[in-house]
Order: sequence, then C-alpha cells, then structure tokens
Amino acid sequence: MTGTGEYDPASAEFAELRELLLGAERRQLEELRRRLDSLGITPDQLAELLPEAIALRAGRDRQLARALAPTVENAISESVRRNPREIATAIFPVLGPAIRKAIAETMAGLVESINRAVEHSISLRGIAWRIEGWRTGVPYAQIVLRHSLVYRVEQVYFIHAETGLLLGHAAAADLTVADADLISGMLTAIQDFVSDSFAIQEGGELRTFCVGELTVMVERGPQAVIAAVVRGPPPDTLLLQLQDALENLHFQFATAFAEYTGDAAPFAGARSRLEELLVTVLNTDRGQRPRGATVWMRWAIPLLLLALIVGGLMWRSRQRWSAAVERLETAPGIVLVSAERDGSRWKFRGLRDPMAADPAALLAGLGMNPSRIEATWDTYLSMEPELILARARRGLAAPATVELSLSGDTLAARGTAPLPWVAATASLGAPPGVTHLDLSGVRALLPDELAGVERSIEGTRILFSAGSAAPGPAAGDNLRALAEAFRSLAAAVAGLGYRVNLELIGRADTTGTESANQALSRMRVDVVRARLLSLGLPADGLDATGIGTSRPLPAPDEAERARINRSVSFIVHLQPAARQSNGAR
Amino acid sequence: MIQKKICMVGVFGTGKTCLVQQFVHSRFSVKYHSTVGVKIDRKVVPVDEGEVTLLLWDLAGRDGHGDITVSYLRGAHGVLYVVDGTRRETFDQVFELRDVVEKAVGPLPSAVALNKSDLTEEWKLGKADDKTLAARSWHQFTTSAKTGAGVEAAFAWIAREAVRQGSAPS
Repeated sequence: MTGTGEYDPASAEFAELRELLLGAERRQLEELRRRLDSLGITPDQLAELLPEAIALRAGRDRQLARALAPTVENAISESVRRNPREIATAIFPVLGPAIRKAIAETMAGLVESINRAVEHSISLRGIAWRIEGWRTGVPYAQIVLRHSLVYRVEQVYFIHAETGLLLGHAAAADLTVADADLISGMLTAIQDFVSDSFAIQEGGELRTFCVGELTVMVERGPQAVIAAVVRGPPPDTLLLQLQDALENLHFQFATAFAEYTGDAAPFAGARSRLEELLVTVLNTDRGQRPRGATVWMRWAIPLLLLALIVGGLMWRSRQRWSAAVERLETAPGIVLVSAERDGSRWKFRGLRDPMAADPAALLAGLGMNPSRIEATWDTYLSMEPELILARARRGLAAPATVELSLSGDTLAARGTAPLPWVAATASLGAPPGVTHLDLSGVRALLPDELAGVERSIEGTRILFSAGSAAPGPAAGDNLRALAEAFRSLAAAVAGLGYRVNLELIGRADTTGTESANQALSRMRVDVVRARLLSLGLPADGLDATGIGTSRPLPAPDEAERARINRSVSFIVHLQPAARQSNGAR
Repeated sequence: MIQKKICMVGVFGTGKTCLVQQFVHSRFSVKYHSTVGVKIDRKVVPVDEGEVTLLLWDLAGRDGHGDITVSYLRGAHGVLYVVDGTRRETFDQVFELRDVVEKAVGPLPSAVALNKSDLTEEWKLGKADDKTLAARSWHQFTTSAKTGAGVEAAFAWIAREAVRQGSAPS
C-alpha cells in the first residue's frame, strides 16, 4: 500500500480532474447549499423585492404601518436627539401652516366657549340651570353638560376576554371610578350570564345594553373586550371606532396577550388609545350655523330692546322739545330768539312782554321739569292784540263790567263803569299800541247818592190836560224840585269834569191828527223849558224835543196811556265838560 | 399590579359570602347572587413578589347540587372550595363540584376551606376526612367567617399558588 504522500499528486490530479469535470456544477451546488443554509433572502434579493413588498402589503392592510411605527418613532427621536436642526429644517414647511391652523382652531374654540358661556349665562335656561345647581349642589358646569349633552363616552374598559380582568381603563376627567376592576369582572360575568341564560350561539353576545341615560357598548375580540360607557344616545359610528380601537389593541399587544398571566403592566400603552375614545359631543357643537344665528339673536334681542327704549326716550324727548318750542313760539308776547338743547338742559333766549304768560308756567304745563330749563328773557312791548288789550286793561284799570275790543287803531270800551273811572279814562287818552280810545259804549254810573238824584229827576213827569199846553196844578212844585235836583247834580259832577244835559221830551195822546199832536207836544215842552229857564237853569243845559205820539210811554190801559202821554218827561245826560264828546249814553 | 381571578365555589349555605364579606372590598350587593349568579369582590394579598389583587368571583351555590355556572369559571387562576363543617353533605358534594370545575377549566390551584370552625359543638368532620382530602392532594384550611380564623391564610395560599402557576391560563 502506498503512503498518503504518494497519493498526494494523484489526489491533486484527482481534484483537478474533478474540477475539470464537475467544477461548474460543484460551484452551483455550493451556491445552492449556501442559500439553503441561510434559509432566507439575500440582502440583494431583499433590496429587489422590498419596495414591491411594501407596496403590496400597504395596499392590503395597515399592519405594516403599525409594525413600523415604533421603529420610525425611535428613529425620529434618535435623530432629534443627535441633531435637532436636521428634523427642524425638514419639517419647517409644514410647521408654519400647522401652527396657524392650531391657533385658528383654538381661537374658534375660544369664541365658541365664550358664546356658550354667554348663551348659558344670559338665557332663562341658564338661570334655571344655576338654580338647579344651587338646589342639588351639583357644580354648574356639570349641569350645563348634562343638559346640553348629545352623548359623551364617559368610560372605556379594556378587559381580558377570558378572565374578565381589567387591562386598562380610561374615564372622563370629572369622573372618579373606584372599582373599575370589579366592574370589569362584573361586565364579563353579565355577558356570560346573558349568553348562558338565552343560550346564544357562539359568536353572539351582549353587545349593547342601556341603563337609564347610560348605554354600555361592548365589542369582543379574541383576546380582549372593549366596553364603552356612554351617556346619551351613541351614534352608529362609535361602534366602528370601538372595533377599530380593539383591532389596533390586539395587534399592538399581540405578544402581551400571549404572555398574559394577570399582570396588566405590559398594557400600560393602551391607555392613550382608550383616552382617544373619550369624547363629549354637545348639541352646541352641532349645527354651527343656525346656532351661531341663535347666539347672534340672543345678543340682538336685548340690543334691539335697548335701541327701542333709547329711541323711544329720544323720540319722546324730541316731541317734548318740539312741543315746548312751539308753545313758546305761539305764545303771545313771547319772541323766541334761540332754543338749544345741551344734554338734558334746555336753553331758551328771547323777548317777553311783561303782560305775556310766564314761560316757565307754560313749559311746566307741558310736563317739563323746570329745573332743566334755563331761560333768559328781555322785556319788550308786544303789539299783538291780546297783549294790547291786556296791557290796556291793566293800564286803564278797567272794571270787570267793561269789555275792551280792538278795531284797527281804536280801542273800544263797552259796558258800564263808574263815572269817576269814565272821567279819568277819558282824560288819559289812548293807551300804548292804539291811537284812539272810544268810551262811547260805556255808560257812566253815578255814585249812589247822585244816582238817587238822577232817578228823582227822571221820575218827574209834568202832566197836561187833553189838548192843552198849560201844565197841571202840581207842575209848579215839581219843576222847582226838579230844578233843585238839577243844580245839585250839576254841582256834583262838575268836580269830575262833567256837566249835566237835561233832555226834555214832550208828548201828546193819540187823539187828533199827528201834526196837531206834534205841534201840541212841541208847545208843551217849550212851556216846561221856559219855566225851567225862569227857575234859573242854564239854557245850554236843556234840550227840548216834542215827539208827538211817536215812542209813547207804556201803560196798562188806554185811558192811563192817554193820561201819562199828555206830558213832558226828563232824561239826564252827563257829558265831559272839557270837550265836546259823543255823549255818555 | 398583578391580578388573579379566583373563583369561590361551594353549595348553598356554606358561608362563602360571609367568608369574604369582612375581608374584601365589596361593591356589589348580595342580591347579585340570586340574579346574575355571581358576585365579584376584590382582595389585595401580599405575596413574595409584592402584592397581588385577587378578583374573587363568588359563584352562587345552588341548593344541594353541583350545579354552577361554568362560564364564570373561565380564565380562573385558582379555585377556593368552601365546605360547611357542620353539614356533612356539603363535604361530600365538594368532590362533585370539583369534578364539574375541572371538567370545565382543567386543573387549577385549588384549596378547600372547611368553614364555620367556630361551631365546634356541631362540627361533623374528623381526621378521616382530612386524610381523604390529603389523599387527593387537596390543600385544606379550617376557617371561620365569624372569628376570621384561617381566612387570610387561605387567601394568601391561593394567591401564592396562582402567582406561582403563573403562565397557566386554562
């Protein structure tokens, strides 16, 4: 047998031969073996396949994204830790718009919450809620929430399906749930109870139950159950959200589920996902547009009322103002030069006749507060008829029995007045504003003692026999008494500037012709005049007239009428002595 | 915090509810027994690893039969059987119950509480019975809901066993 060494060349030759014969195949074989050993894909191959594989899987479901998420997060945080500027530069273009959007949303939310606060605090409903709050001791915010709530996911339980043990729990901030683990167990028990009691087939279980305002929605997965406690009617979309969350949790915690023995710590990461499900939807969050209008209306109504009130007050004030100005402008003897309002103070300036009405009294009559009025009046004389008359009445001290009237430039007086007044007034002349004073309409009244004398004169009647012009037997005494009375009266009125005119009227009865009677009456009056002259009466003080049968004196019967009309009677006239007047009667 | 689901099983009137009443945190009233058939309480028990929260599923005992709602047993980490030491028949029935439980969820850490130990006069169990239990490698505690004797020990033991069993969901 040859040694090993002897075979070396042969061996080499053999190897060479083998290489020649089988080299290519052998290399292929080794390559195949190597691939079999690595049992995977080469980086080269992976590089070839990766983009296609990613696209394929991403199109199928979201598992890839979920699987990559932690790595990507880590990569980003690592990158930020090493060089923050790199990331900052990269995301800068999106950062600005994102910040603006966030600010806009925050502002919108702020406006919304202010609107809501306004709406709730000024509305009747808001007051009612506050009262309810005081009564029940429940904070106002919670009452508002309760009343304006559409629905609110208050609690979310993440429960291990098999054991009913609690893996995670999230509750609304204002809610304290002490025994989530017990509730978790009981929820599971109740589900089992319902399934057992009603012999529900596999796959069917209690998914929703309602207790008063609360709805408990339960979604069951192979490993875990997610249960949401909702106040108010939940929307259909909520169920989908729960399902989605449950799927994510199953995927995210697949390992933790496999290793679960009662320790909830590996599921701590589920909490943020559970909290995402806690949402509150208020009816104020719905129908922005109409509700916005309502808020606007809530502002508008008080404002409108306020405007109406202010407007009403302004209108009333304006009305009063116009009324006041008009009253002053139309008042006789007042000339309004300027009128202005300065805030609540009313300022008037003008002219006022002393005889005019008091402006303050006029305005007070319109309901003005006199303390708000500031008025300056300069005195003047008004030519208005009312003022002229008023001034004349005062200036002439006309008695109430005298009526004054104005006709052109002439002031006329009518009525009766004591003789001294008539005498004094006649001597005064025309008052301011007129050129003539007409006192002819005023009958002067004698003082009482003289009036008796006048009556005795006018009561005297000298009687005649039928067809005769010779006075009767009593005539002598009567005429003497009459002359005496005349003299005393004339003496009395002379002091007042008056003289007495005695009118003698001769009459006849109806017997005989008119012309004869006329002549007879004339004769009778002449006789009496002559007798009076002889008694010493002045000729210019006696006016004799024969009137025949015209204007006969009245009597009850024919005979008496004939008797008294065969007479001469007397009328006293008082005349201003100084000048020739139209007479006082 | 580690949580364990422990089921308490026993026929009607063995004092299961009384046993836990004083030692646990209750939220649900006893009437759950007659309605849902289970009442869940919580008890925190110290163990070597720290503390463990026991969720005690107190299963309603039906009168005289091993008839319990099996679905409530699902996922349990331990079972505490309760026997009324003054009523012999409850001792006999506990074996029947155990069969039902193990058939439903398999073998679990379990112990027997021989309850009402304060009623020594009426005690019906003897050494033979202890041997019967030991022969079936069944851990036993003599307990009294009235005096509290043995209760903490029973819960502590079952908690420890459940934690040790650890990764043994049924």
